[in-house]
Amino acid sequence: MRCLLFSIICGLLFCCISDYRHLQAAQPDAVCTDRIAPLHIETAWYDASIDVMNNHISGLLLIKDMPDGSHRIVFTNEVGVTFFDFGFSAGSFKVHSILSQLDKKPVVETLRKDFELIIGLPFQKASFNRYLAGDEIYFGVTQKKETAYFITSKDCASLQRLELGTKRKRKVSVRMPGSGYPSPDRFELEHHTFNMKINLKRIPKE
Amino acid sequence: MYSNFTLSISAKPWLLAFGLFVIVSGQTFSQYAGYSAVADLPSFRKEFSSKSASVTSIQSSFTQEKVLTALTEKIASTGSFWFKRSNKVRIEYVKPFTYLVVINGDKILVRDEQNENRFNTKSNKMFQQVNRIMVDCVQGTILESKDFSTRVFENDRAYLMEMTPSEKTLRGLFQTIVLTVDKRDYSANTIEMNEPSGDKTTILFTDKKLNTQISDAVFAF
Repeated sequence: MRCLLFSIICGLLFCCISDYRHLQAAQPDAVCTDRIAPLHIETAWYDASIDVMNNHISGLLLIKDMPDGSHRIVFTNEVGVTFFDFGFSAGSFKVHSILSQLDKKPVVETLRKDFELIIGLPFQKASFNRYLAGDEIYFGVTQKKETAYFITSKDCASLQRLELGTKRKRKVSVRMPGSGYPSPDRFELEHHTFNMKINLKRIPKE
Repeated sequence: MYSNFTLSISAKPWLLAFGLFVIVSGQTFSQYAGYSAVADLPSFRKEFSSKSASVTSIQSSFTQEKVLTALTEKIASTGSFWFKRSNKVRIEYVKPFTYLVVINGDKILVRDEQNENRFNTKSNKMFQQVNRIMVDCVQGTILESKDFSTRVFENDRAYLMEMTPSEKTLRGLFQTIVLTVDKRDYSANTIEMNEPSGDKTTILFTDKKLNTQISDAVFAF
């Protein structure tokens, strides 16, 4: 009985520890955010893979920067069949087409949030809260129950990664090895609350 | 003024004739310029089936182009293709990405840059259908498929088969699949997959070698 009680208390304590407890609020830094915020991404094709709960889908993904400032994301398989075609702009999201097998609300919502983070949509028209965290600086934008962060090195010289989380829980992180915005070479997106990864590798233009 | 009036009077019959030609030719030849409808479809089916049965293997290069019409974007890829009668297909993309599909009967191997999957087409209806289309297109049995209604056109060098899916899952994937076949050897020249959105993927086969010896090892996994 004591053991069970101890386990429950430990469990409660563990789940209450915030992933963002180490953040210390600091003064805004417009010079840094103006220079490094991921506000723009150029049109490119990516060699793409999505791994969800031990299911693997690969194909080609187009991120298209539209003339009106909106974005389209189209994911097709290698043979040419389109899996989905999503439209993103500030304040709106449209499913232009999606395979019936993928047309489930949780799937669409998860992909919507993931790709909004990748194209930097949460950071478009925002004032950023700045937090110090060891060798890194977090710039956060709160949206409903979640906060989107872009995280830089302490000297604001490089963009380290993007994150999406609640007050306590880190939910998604995106790393960009290689060149950064506006033409990232790679994206490595990982969900931390369930088993899902998205990997994108830019296909050089001919 | 007078000369203009004369011109407008004399031009009218020609304009009328041209207008009628556009309307009539539009109905007769549909969107396939240079092709006319095959008149005797039953005898074409018979001939197509017997002639294409003589193709026992194909080894070819291919260029694939995916066009996103509304977004004015396209991407091209190249690779190699092998077919061995019956039901053995290997498609190997080499540029600008690597991707391998091997179909051997009901078994499929799919290998991309990070992962390798082996599965049975019977476990996945969509894969089974796409697999069937691919094999039917290259081995000349697509006209026997109950999943499509087919219109056939020809010119002096090729047959063109426009296949419209009748089955629900396929209708969600393709508006039409257009296959052109070389009249000399009944091998596929191009496969064009038109999606309901207006996007299309065209595969062009080049450097075709027919009926050469291809080892079963090419399709083994």
